[in-house]
Order: sequence, then C-alpha cells, then structure tokens
Amino acid sequence: MGVLQDVYEMLNTCNKCGGCHTACKTYKLTGAETMVARGRIQLIKAVADGKLEPNQEYEDAIMSCLLCGECAVTCPNGVHGNELVMAARRDLKLKKGIKPFVKSFALNTLASPKRLDMGFRLFKGMGKSFLNKIDGLDYFRGIDIRNFPTAKKPFLEQVPEKITVQHPKHKVGFYVGCFLNHALDQTAHSVVKVLTKNDCEVIIPKDQVCCGLPQYCYGDFETAKKNARKTIDTFLDKYSDAEVILSACGSCVAMLRHDYLKLFADEPSYLEKVKLFCEKVVEFSEYMEKIGVDQTKLHNSTPLTVTYHDPCHMVRGLKVTKQPRQLLQMVPRIEYKEMFEANRCCGAAGLIQAFYHEVSTDITDQKTQNIKDTNADLVATSCPACMLRLQGGINKVGQKQKVMHVADIMANAYED
Amino acid sequence: MLSQAVVKRLKEIVGEKNVVTDKVGLLTYGYDGTLLSGEALGVVSPTTTEQVVEIVKLMNEHDIKLVPRGAGTNESGGTIPSEKSVVISFTKMTKIHEIDTENFVAVVEPGVINFDLQVELAKKNFYFPPDPSSFKASTIGGNLGECSGGPKCFKYGVTRDYMLGLEVVLPNGKVIQTGGRNFQSEPGYDLTRIIVGSEGILGLVTKVFVRILPIPRAKKTMLALYDKVEDASQTVADIVAAGIIPTTLELMDNLLINTTEDFTHAGLPRDAGAVLIIEVDGYQEDMDEQVKTIGEIASKIAKEFKVAQSAAEVDQIWTSRRSAFGSVARVRPSYGVNDITVPRSNFPKAIGGVLKVAKDFGVTIGVVAHAGDGNLHPLILFDQRNKEETETVHAAEQALCMMALDLDGTISGEHGIGLVKKKYLDKEFTPAAMEAFRKIKRSFDPSNRFNPGKIIDL
Ligand SMILES: Cc1cc2nc3c(=O)[nH]c(=O)nc-3n(C[C@H](O)[C@H](O)[C@H](O)COP(=O)(O)OP(=O)(O)OC[C@H]3O[C@@H](n4cnc5c(N)ncnc54)[C@H](O)[C@@H]3O)c2cc1C
Ligand code: SF4
Ligand code: SF4
Repeated sequence: MGVLQDVYEMLNTCNKCGGCHTACKTYKLTGAETMVARGRIQLIKAVADGKLEPNQEYEDAIMSCLLCGECAVTCPNGVHGNELVMAARRDLKLKKGIKPFVKSFALNTLASPKRLDMGFRLFKGMGKSFLNKIDGLDYFRGIDIRNFPTAKKPFLEQVPEKITVQHPKHKVGFYVGCFLNHALDQTAHSVVKVLTKNDCEVIIPKDQVCCGLPQYCYGDFETAKKNARKTIDTFLDKYSDAEVILSACGSCVAMLRHDYLKLFADEPSYLEKVKLFCEKVVEFSEYMEKIGVDQTKLHNSTPLTVTYHDPCHMVRGLKVTKQPRQLLQMVPRIEYKEMFEANRCCGAAGLIQAFYHEVSTDITDQKTQNIKDTNADLVATSCPACMLRLQGGINKVGQKQKVMHVADIMANAYED
Repeated sequence: MLSQAVVKRLKEIVGEKNVVTDKVGLLTYGYDGTLLSGEALGVVSPTTTEQVVEIVKLMNEHDIKLVPRGAGTNESGGTIPSEKSVVISFTKMTKIHEIDTENFVAVVEPGVINFDLQVELAKKNFYFPPDPSSFKASTIGGNLGECSGGPKCFKYGVTRDYMLGLEVVLPNGKVIQTGGRNFQSEPGYDLTRIIVGSEGILGLVTKVFVRILPIPRAKKTMLALYDKVEDASQTVADIVAAGIIPTTLELMDNLLINTTEDFTHAGLPRDAGAVLIIEVDGYQEDMDEQVKTIGEIASKIAKEFKVAQSAAEVDQIWTSRRSAFGSVARVRPSYGVNDITVPRSNFPKAIGGVLKVAKDFGVTIGVVAHAGDGNLHPLILFDQRNKEETETVHAAEQALCMMALDLDGTISGEHGIGLVKKKYLDKEFTPAAMEAFRKIKRSFDPSNRFNPGKIIDL
C-alpha cells in the first residue's frame, strides 16, 4: 500500500464543504483555491487516483501549507488537512526526493549537530557582517537577518551536564532543541533558572540532537527516525533518572510526544520504548504549572503590559493554552492583555518563511498589527521559532515591542 | 487549451498572478459542493469592473464561455465548468465600499465573504440577515447567484429581499446598474430581481447594494427535543398555525444530532429523535411572553423544552446546526443534498414522505430543515464509488422531488437548479413557463456565453 492509499479514506471524507476557507490563512491572504485545505486535499486525491502526476505547481500547493492544523479543528467532518499534507510530502519524498537546496542547506544541516554548529559559526563570523554591508538587505524574504541572534557558543557548551540545587525535589532532563542551543541561549539559561529556583535538578545531556521535526515535515522520515532514535536512547538509557524530559519549544515537544509514536508505528519491537519516552515529555509551562510555582519568590517593580502568542504546536498540537497565561499573570505588576487571533499562525511555519515568503510575510504583518492593537510592551510566547519571526516582523514595521519566552519573563522576576 | 495570445491578453488585463492555466490550478476550480466536477480552460480573477468588461469582450472575440464563481460552495453544480469555458473567479473582489447605517445600505464587491461583511457590520451594531450555513465561506455574489436562504429566513426572508441594486456586466460587455440604494422599488422592470437567483447565466455582478438592519436588541434561543422527527414537525405546524413568527425554526434529526455532536460536543442528547432550534428576537420586553407561548405549544409534544442560558451555549447550538451538511461524511463519504420545499402547513406530510422514501429505497437519509419555511434538506448518504448504490440514490432523489411537487411544493428552496436539479425543472413548470425562461436567457445572452447549460438548455 502506498502512503496515499493509507490515508485514502480520510482524503475521501472531505466533501468539499468549504468549512476550512476561514481557517486557512494561506487562502485568506491569496484567495487561491490551490492554497486551502479543500484544494490541497482534492489535489492529493487526484494524485492518489492517478489523475495527476506531481509537478511543480502541485509541490507548491503542498509545500506552502503552514501545517498550522487550523483546518483540522475547523473541519466538521474531522478531516485533518495538515496530516494529509504530511502524507503528500512523504509521498513526494519517496517519488522524487527532496529538492537539493532544501535538503543540503536546511534539513541535513539541522540534522547534524556538527554541521549546524559550523553553519551558525559561519553566519556569525562572515555571513552576518557581509550581509550587514549590503544596504537594503536587512530582510531576506521577510526574515530579519541583521538582528538574527546567534549564541556566543552553543548553550550545550556553556553549561555542565548536571545543575544541582540545595534541596532537590525534582529531577528534570532538559531537551534544549536547536534554536535555544544556537540562537537563543539566553532563553535556555532562563529555563534552567526558573527550574532551579523551583528546586529542580537539571540534567542536560551534551550529545542531544535535533528532534527531527524539520526533516519529518519534508517527508524525510529516515533522517527524522535516526534523530528520534538517538534522542530516545540518549534520554532513556543514559539519563534514565530524569523524571521528565522537558523542552521549552512547543514544536519540539509536539514532535517528541506525538509524532515519535507515528514514526515508529511500524516498528513494534521499539515502540514500547518510544511510548515510555513520550509519556515523560513535558512542555515548560505545563510542567511549571504542574509542580506549582512559589509566587512569593517572584519580584518585579516595573509595570508591564504583556500579551501572549499561541504557537501552532502549543495550541493545536499539545492543546496547552492556559498554563503560559497563568504563569505570566503570576509575575507582580504584569497586566495581561489578550490579542485578537492569538492562536493563529505567526507566519514562520518552519521553512515556509524562506520558501513562500510572500504568504508568510502577509501573515506576520497581520500578527504584528494585532500585537500593536493591544498596546503591550512585551509579547510572550512558547516557541523560539515564533520568537524570532515575531521580533523580526515587529522590527520591520518599526514597532517597539520586545518578544520574550515565558521562561525569560519569569526568570527576570527571580533574584539572581 | 487557451491560445498563447488569449493567455497573454488575460495576463495584461488582470496581471500575471491572476490567471491560472496549469493543470493543478484548473483542478481546484473544477469542483463545488456537489459530487460533480469538470475542467475549465483557464481561471481568471479580476479585481475591478473594468477588468471584468475587458475579459467579457476578449472571450466574446474568441467565442469562449465564462463560468462565474464565488467560493464554490453551491449545492447545485452551478460552478462546474462547461466545455470550452474560462472560470471567472470573484474571490479577489473583496472590497466593502461603504457601510451607510443612516440609510441601512452597504455597498460591497461580489467576492466579499458573507461572514466578513457581518463582522464589519457588527462593529456598527448592524447585520445582513441572509446567513446561509455556509456563511463563513460563501460570498455575497454566490449568495445572490443562488438567492440563498439561511436560518433567519422564516422571519426575515431570503437574499432577494435584501438586494437593493446591482452593477452588472452583461454578456455583450456593457455595464448596467439596476435598482439603487433607495428602498423604493425600481421604476420600469425590476431587473434586480431577475438577476438575483439567476445563477450567473444572465450577467456578472460586480457591485452589490445590500440592505442592512440594526441588530435586534434582544434574542432568546430555545431547544425542543423529541422522540420522533414526526413529532417535531407537528410542533412546527402548530407554531405556524398559532400565527407566531420566530426568527428561526430549524430541525435536525437523530442522525444529524449525532454527526454534529461528534464535531462540536455541544451536548445535544444523542438519543433524541429530533431537535428543534427556535429563536426569537425583538425588544427585551417581548421576549418572556414569546418564549412562554412557544414553550406551551412545544411542550404539548416535546419530551423536553429548554431555553439556552448563556451566549456560549447559543454559539455551540449554532455551530452544530451550521456544520450539519459538513459533518455527514463521518457516516458515509458521499451525500446528495435535496432542497425540497413545501407549504408550511404541509411540513408534517413532507417529513412523512421523506421517511417513506428512505424505507422504500432502503437508503440512509438524515434530515435537516429550515422548518419554518417548509424547506427540507434530506441528505442521502452513500458511497459514490458504489455504482449500484449511486443509482438507487438518484432514484430516491427523484422520488423526493415528486413527493414535494405533489404537496404543492418546489424542487428547490434555496440551492438553485444548476446542473443537478435541471432534469426536474420541467416537472414543476409548464412548457409555456419553460419557454419564458429560455426567452429571458436569450434576450440577455443570445450566444449562450454565460454559465451555459445551467438551469435550462436552450
Ligand atoms: C456546508 C454548506 C452549507 C450550506 N448552507 C446553505 C444554506 O443554509 N442556505 C443556502 O441557501 N445555501 C446553503 N449552501 C449552499 C451554498 O453555500 C450557497 O448557495 C452559497 O450562496 C454559494 O455561495 P458561493 O460563494 O460559494 O457561490 P458559488 O458556489 O461559487 O456560486 C453560486 C452561483 O452563483 C454564481 N455567481 C457567483 N458569483 C457571481 C457573480 N459575481 N455574478 C454572477 N453570478 C455569480 C455562480 O455562477 C453559481 O451559479 C450550503 C453549502 C454548504 C457546502
Ligand atoms: S477539509 Fe473539511 S472543512 Fe475543508 S472542505 Fe473538506 S470537509 Fe470541508
Ligand atoms: S494546516 Fe494550516 S495552512 Fe495547511 S491547509 Fe490546514 S489551515 Fe491551511
């Protein structure tokens, strides 16, 4: 059975009602029927039926999907457009392979810690200063490269493998993820600070790798599986004393908790171990909520207005929405303000921002306007990819808000 | 295939991005809400009336047909491309030109999505009463093309009743303005009413003057639950007989209660045979009285009657009702939606007729109805891949149409005729009436260029 045959019943369940038209941002902004779940699904079905040979236009329709999952929650028939797109991407990968550029530049680099590290070093050393010299090239396809943060050295090289506390109540394994390791190391430090302030001993395995989500999204299940296996084995074999495996990136958590199960569904001998692993995975705010934060230790003297952006993987993948908002409101003198459409995609959507920048730029512009309307000083969120996208978008239109992770805002409220 | 020259001209008229000629693009403009599909030679998305005029002229020069399309959610095959045609998609004409709350008028482009208009109007405490269940996707152009109805029709009427005037591009490329922004009826022929509901076969609408109303000060939403769908239909007849006009009177049977519950979890009882959703609006002072009277009538038969307590509860009830069509693929992948309408007093008989058809033909039918209007949507569920079953379904559909006509009803209340109901039209109208239809079409469009093959064959 082919990949598309496996999902054929779901393809066939779409009865073209158009319910996803409001949900799908790529349609709202383009008005093009190839850019909505309904259209994408009908195209995938045509390929499954042998009526259409995948071509460039088909690839564009499939690759421009944000995988935001909004269509899945809106569809009255329970059709999950995002999952069908994933199947189509897998099918494309098997039939045609992945475009060399996407593959070498993005996916392989991300998958290998060494190459990723090299990449960031190059970008920092030469690329960034070189780009800075070119006038007008502040933005590469809507991405704010001039202000793109890079860690002095990877977070994993800055910290010991174990960070102890005086009266440990919990033992937390920290899955850092690529973005916090290489770009937003400050946020990684914030996570550690909040955890230790709450009596958690933190274990940070040095040999952790990319979770595999970027490769998985492009249908490269082989590489994704390799990285997944490495991640699972590292945490379960070498650091089995960690009670939970925590990450501060909503996307990584969704991958570690849900998609790993799908990846190994065809490997029953390993699946038990995967299940064990998945059960241990927690998202930062989810965990802090669970163990309870001592509010009396949080101090802040500057009144601040904060709004929160729900990353796609947090709200629709993990269904975690309350906890980050509750944590933010624990910090003294913070006034919380909800923005319009807080739960809609910010436009980053993995590599979409680079490859389909016209759509993603419009999506981001809408988001920054919604942020502006709240008059907030700070934008909090729970995914480093969203953080970078939002800050870039805000800078581009000359707004003033600073984007921070929930952990950053909390960390600032603890004394050193 | 379109010739290079035509494609080039189209691109000059609307811009490169707004012309689609590749196979993938064409596939996605080949379907609508029905099971039919076709393939056009191209898709062109104009953004101004001038562009529409240029397109019409160009197509005339090359003898190519035009198929107007909004969101493509119609249930009649009304946007399925015919042979040698180009789809003209209005989804990029989305400007709301004006909202004039003093004169109760809004001026919009045809591609404005009904819901988007409602959102803008709500900011000024106004609304546009026609609200088909597909309102989050469907466009004003499509709404008027089919003369759509919605849950509020019972009290407020259908799309036709809210169209004050139109700007129309005729098949010869000339632009006319029908009606206007004033309430009074048109001097001369009422061309607005000829265009509304004409399913794109007479002219291309490029601007719409719609009538808007202030949002009623108060409303109450009630639910009445029944053991059997026949019982619910009796309450409908009783309410109508008592001379009460609720805003809405919607019915869903057990099958629909269950498929929508799977999606919304609104808490409708899954074992109920049917539910009536009843809403009244008006002044706060009148609410209690109306709720009391309706409660008394319904309680005679209903096993339970309740009034929604919170706005959230009301929202959930409506999400359920609006997702009814959408949700049935959970049971079987294909559905045939019927749109029969009977005089209100015959509503119980029509329900009886539907149940009989289901039994006689051995098909699964879910019923959802704008009961107040006598408009029923029996949804026949099946699997298109099964040829035999598909044929039985077609026979059952025909039986439903005949049943409605026998009850002095019509084969289509609000979805239009398009391709799907075309074969039944001469059962409802006399040969002389059919000829009158043809004559009107010919006088607008002698060369049969706009949406050919829909409603009637020439
Ligand atoms: C889930 C679901 C629920 C529905 N609920 C209802 C309901 O409650 N009530 C109801 O009445 N219908 C309902 N429908 C049917 C459908 O949504 C309506 O007919 C709707 O008005 C169609 O709008 P559209 O924008 O999709 O138009 P389309 O389907 O694109 O077009 C409809 C017709 O209008 C013509 N047209 C479109 N734009 C123009 C223009 N600018 N100028 C001239 N002709 C034009 C087309 O040629 C076609 O004949 C439902 C459909 C679905 C899938
Ligand atoms: S994906 Fe769902 S909501 Fe979208 S058209 Fe298909 S059935 Fe309707
Ligand atoms: S996942 Fe998001 S972008 Fe992709 S089809 Fe669904 S709603 Fe559209």
